[in-house]
Amino acid sequence: MNYVYDFASVFRNADTLIDGLSLSLEIAAAANLIAVFGGFVIALLLLSPSRLIRLPATLFVEFFRCTPFLVQIFWFFYCVPMLLDVYLSSRALGILALSLILSTFNAEAFRGAVQAVPRDQIDAGIALGLSPFQRVAHIIFPTALRLVIPVLLTNGILAFQTSSLLSLVAVEELMFSGKMLSAKIYRPIETFTVVALIYLVVSLPVSQWVGWLERRRVRAER
Amino acid sequence: MDFNFGLIWKFAVPLAQGLGTSILLSLICMALGSLLGLALALARSSPSRLLRLPAVAFVELFRGTPVLIQLFWVFFCLPLVLGFEPASFTSGVVALSLFTGAVTSETFRAALRSIGSEQRDASVALGLSRWTRMRYVILPQMALRATPVLLSNSITLFKETALVAAVGISDLMSVGENISNSIGRPVEILTTVAVVYFVIAFPFTRIVTLLEKRLLRKLAL
Repeated sequence: MNYVYDFASVFRNADTLIDGLSLSLEIAAAANLIAVFGGFVIALLLLSPSRLIRLPATLFVEFFRCTPFLVQIFWFFYCVPMLLDVYLSSRALGILALSLILSTFNAEAFRGAVQAVPRDQIDAGIALGLSPFQRVAHIIFPTALRLVIPVLLTNGILAFQTSSLLSLVAVEELMFSGKMLSAKIYRPIETFTVVALIYLVVSLPVSQWVGWLERRRVRAER
Repeated sequence: MDFNFGLIWKFAVPLAQGLGTSILLSLICMALGSLLGLALALARSSPSRLLRLPAVAFVELFRGTPVLIQLFWVFFCLPLVLGFEPASFTSGVVALSLFTGAVTSETFRAALRSIGSEQRDASVALGLSRWTRMRYVILPQMALRATPVLLSNSITLFKETALVAAVGISDLMSVGENISNSIGRPVEILTTVAVVYFVIAFPFTRIVTLLEKRLLRKLAL
């Protein structure tokens, strides 16, 4: 192993990576914003008492959860413009694809959280004479929200990391700029190490925060 | 626009070969990754800082970065470490095994934690040695509790194997992408590829759920 590392040439081209990072963050942030609402709406469909609504929604969610992200992204980029005859910028397609993927994950999180609200709390609401809407607004929603926030944050990190797959369909995000840079300066190891560390530095504080929230919740429940 | 899903039968053989590669890759990486995961989980629960810290750093690194970049990283670093250029399949196996190790170590750790401290206390009271306690009391119970989660980890791994298409391994995704590009029929080919992944992964998730329910009943939790 007589390889001479040269991180300096990566840092000299830091602006390429910073441009990539800002697009990655933009895509991930937009997808998270859309998917919190999208996920909630899909979760309502999943929890619907009507089979006719529940079954297609379940199939939709399961299809996304049981196929690779890469296949979904390729499908979205190649097939959606063909099938719908709409041609969007790759950035917009990237945001839409990632929002759709994240929505199905968030939907499962919302569904799980609503179902985890203890039955006796709902019974207590009925006993107190609260209307179904009041029970949802004052009992189910606040309790479920506390349960779901850590999962939404974890899914958000997952979406940020999944945004790296968009590099394979030529969206110029962080991974893409990393590949470009490594080809330009012939330093793949150094470049990909720096890119990996950037992903880590963005993800780690959020995952530590999730850990802290979880610990606080466990303590509060004791 | 007209679609002709009949044309996929012409490509059934290469697609099946691609699927075979995907499944083989999943099996190898699951086996190697679980061994690594078990070692990492034991290291993380060790009283020694010297064992604990590197294990924590490894897990955070592999869980905090995209799998795609891990693949590229291993792909370029492995030749340096080994001194020769391995086949791309080997690089893929190494990268995905390291990733699976980080994921399954969390599974094993959760399973280890779920074993009540009274079990440990009872073993100490019975005068069992550390090794006997681990081998006959803790590990068998842990393995049982970890099994359903390990199976769902292997579904995750099966889906992640699609990424090896990016480093030139001819798995299902890569074969599908090549065919779709060369005949210009993405709708038919990519949809078929997605359906094949789904048809394998979905029943597996149902089996895992059933298994989990039976296991929970058996453990009377």
